[in-house]
Amino acid sequence: MTDLQKLRIGLTSLAVLAWAVAPLLVERSLLDVLNFSAILAIGGLGVGLLLGQCGIVNLGQSAFYGIGAYATAYGTTALGLPASAAMLIGMASAAAIALAIGWPMLRLGGFYLALATLAVGSIAGVLFFEWDWLTGGTLGVGGIPKLVVAGIELAEPMHYHYFIWPVVAGLSWLALNLIHSRQGLALRAMRDAAPAAEVLSIDLHRLKTVVFVISAVLGALAGSLFAHYVSFVSVQSFTVERSILFLLVPVVAGARSVPGIVIGALFVGLVPELLSALGDMHQVLFGLALVLVVTLLPGGITGLTTRWLARKEPA
Amino acid sequence: MPSSLILQAVLAGITSGFVYALIGVGIAVIFRGSHIVNAMQGEFAVVGALVAVFASAGAGLPLPLAATLGVAAGAGLGVLIDLLFVRPMKRRKASEESFLLLTIGLAFTLSAGALYFAGRDSHLLPPIVEGVYAIGGATIPNHALWLIALAVAVVAALRLFYRRTLLGLSMAAASADPDGATTIGIDVNRARLLTFLLGGGVGAVAGILVSPLIAMNYHMGIVYTLKGFAAAILGGIANPLGAVVGGIVLGLLESLAAVGFPSGYRDGVAMALLIVIMIVMPNGLIGRAGRVGG
Amino acid sequence: MNALISPKPAAAAEPLLRLQGIAHHFGGLNVLDKVEFDVPAGRIVGLLGPNGSGKTTCFNIVSGFLRPKAGSVRFAGDDVTAWSVQRRGSAGLVRTFQTPKVFEHMTVLENLMVGEYKTTRSGFVGALLSLPGARREYAAMRERATACAERFGLARLLHVVSGALPAGQRRIVELARACIAEPRVLLLDEPSSGLNTEEIETLRHWIERLNADGLTILLVSHDMGLMTVCDQAHVLYFGEIIASGSLAEVQCDPRVREAYLGV
Repeated sequence: MTDLQKLRIGLTSLAVLAWAVAPLLVERSLLDVLNFSAILAIGGLGVGLLLGQCGIVNLGQSAFYGIGAYATAYGTTALGLPASAAMLIGMASAAAIALAIGWPMLRLGGFYLALATLAVGSIAGVLFFEWDWLTGGTLGVGGIPKLVVAGIELAEPMHYHYFIWPVVAGLSWLALNLIHSRQGLALRAMRDAAPAAEVLSIDLHRLKTVVFVISAVLGALAGSLFAHYVSFVSVQSFTVERSILFLLVPVVAGARSVPGIVIGALFVGLVPELLSALGDMHQVLFGLALVLVVTLLPGGITGLTTRWLARKEPA
Repeated sequence: MPSSLILQAVLAGITSGFVYALIGVGIAVIFRGSHIVNAMQGEFAVVGALVAVFASAGAGLPLPLAATLGVAAGAGLGVLIDLLFVRPMKRRKASEESFLLLTIGLAFTLSAGALYFAGRDSHLLPPIVEGVYAIGGATIPNHALWLIALAVAVVAALRLFYRRTLLGLSMAAASADPDGATTIGIDVNRARLLTFLLGGGVGAVAGILVSPLIAMNYHMGIVYTLKGFAAAILGGIANPLGAVVGGIVLGLLESLAAVGFPSGYRDGVAMALLIVIMIVMPNGLIGRAGRVGG
Repeated sequence: MNALISPKPAAAAEPLLRLQGIAHHFGGLNVLDKVEFDVPAGRIVGLLGPNGSGKTTCFNIVSGFLRPKAGSVRFAGDDVTAWSVQRRGSAGLVRTFQTPKVFEHMTVLENLMVGEYKTTRSGFVGALLSLPGARREYAAMRERATACAERFGLARLLHVVSGALPAGQRRIVELARACIAEPRVLLLDEPSSGLNTEEIETLRHWIERLNADGLTILLVSHDMGLMTVCDQAHVLYFGEIIASGSLAEVQCDPRVREAYLGV
């Protein structure tokens, strides 16, 4: 067994152990932040697939996050739908919208595409604000019921903690399957040398669109789970800043790594919280931390580990 | 619809159009000089304006001096960014996405910094000249006329600089062909530093010119960045004059749309238009380095 | 090897690849003017010319990276002038690049497996859920890629990240990958660039072997030594074909001598 495999098994076991005992060791407010990190991980996974496998910078995840959240909020309160139905509607709508706007938009390259996704996020923000019959505008929508899983109502952060991290693990498993598949090969080929991939009859545009739709569905799922967690949503949560947070998760983690998404999400969720003890400067410090990660750690945190390991093992 | 209302909208649109144009010009300058897409250009405007506000209202300095300080702050910030971040990243040949993520991160940091130092309030600069000027049934602030004149002057000066001065030409050469430029003695690093100095300065000028009309706050950076990009893309990102045309078109469309649509949708209309234009106008016309045959 | 290459096609009414009336310009600059030639099935055809003669532009037009301002490209009986690169690849028109475009972050084995994309079909659902059918196909892809690597002498490099390989080996990886995609015609763009003498010999060996097994090849190069593998050659000069025939014939052609050696 190689060092890397041992490390992976060790870390995974540690992570599972940490998950199991966390609510017993950690105070409620921190558990709350951890739950939010899990939600960030789900939305960040989508953005991470686009960034790490397709090289696309997606600044519009807040749009789909909002679609999921409001589908759940409106669906369960005004329409009285069961939670799973509302969630599915949210994900289906996100998929449909992502397909409709993604197909023309993904023909754009590099920076223009990033700008277009940013515009999508902005437009969604405007619509969430204006369509207050659906979203309640700044007043928001409240009274969203808690999720009930296997008969247990997830009323406390602790309950949610035991629910959401397995969800994150399951989605990560799906993502890893994708990467180690024929389609995953095509995605990585597209990222490394798009013209050569094209010559090998890979339809780049279709690939990008599918991953974009997957990312949107993950965003919507994250939004629905968020709505059920906090029971009250308002437009402030669905702005461009939220899109940037989602983007930061894979950037900090190291875009190509799926397990790293969890680390990235924990960083993006916890660090602002920890820094807030330093007062108003915390936002600035957080921004600086990001900039430093991008400048100094091109492979993100997982890139550091890989490089450290490479140094330990002789070729 | 009374024609004076339309005329008013047109005047307002042209005014904001020139602001967007200046931001767009700054983006084009930085892109031409470093091949970096600067997602934080609007923050130069915020920094420039806020420094000028604090110099004039806080420290009581006369407006021209305060404005100069603001421009210097913007230019200085640009230089700092190049030295601290861009230069090392260029040295290790970082990817295009990395630079984009860098400027996004910087936008976030600077916006948070503005929030920290200037709070959530919006700040107004005193105008260059008080009062309004009447045209037809509409009025335009005198300051706006100055804004337009100064913006035109800045763009003209930049054009002259790049085309006629040795320094400007060598900067253009350095960005077009860094290796070739090095062989004839052009210091590519210094050229890029000057690019960021100019880009930062122009951005600050935009912010200083607009804040007597529209109060500046920490959040405006990203809004101006987006509008600046729209202007630059409409006009052709590598062509500074194009950003002027693009800016004015954008300003007019936005202004006239505000007459037709409820005001909340205004920004949405601009964004939607941006996406449509990017998709419909093929990349080839937008001045990106194309494939070269041979 | 035969399993990788399509069998020689029956005598067709039309040559496998045909260029007619190709003209192209950039801005006001005429780059190609009335370029016409055929690539018969099973042959190696060379396109020669000094730098700036339009070889690369012509090549990009045939492979689909550029649309000509005038003229047509016909492949296996179809007019493919408007076809995308990807569609041409699906039809069996595969090219390599002047600087070998290997997938830098992927191993040699993975590079070859990407070449099998065209001949496999498991979709996203199978991938995400790791369905048995998808897994089986993936394992089969891996086996075929391993076999291909052995035939091309890349077996000991299977798990090396291709970005770490020197130019000569990258070229072979790119070639092997193109072959595993079951091409009907292989377009080689300056394949010897960046290679040393020994590597060029290896390359030459492979070109001859692949052609012996029935693969049609269009070769662009300015390396006269490599060009001796060609059955036919066409010489481009300032965007026009000035000579066609066997390599010996065009080398003796006075206009060609003037173009290469003259003022």
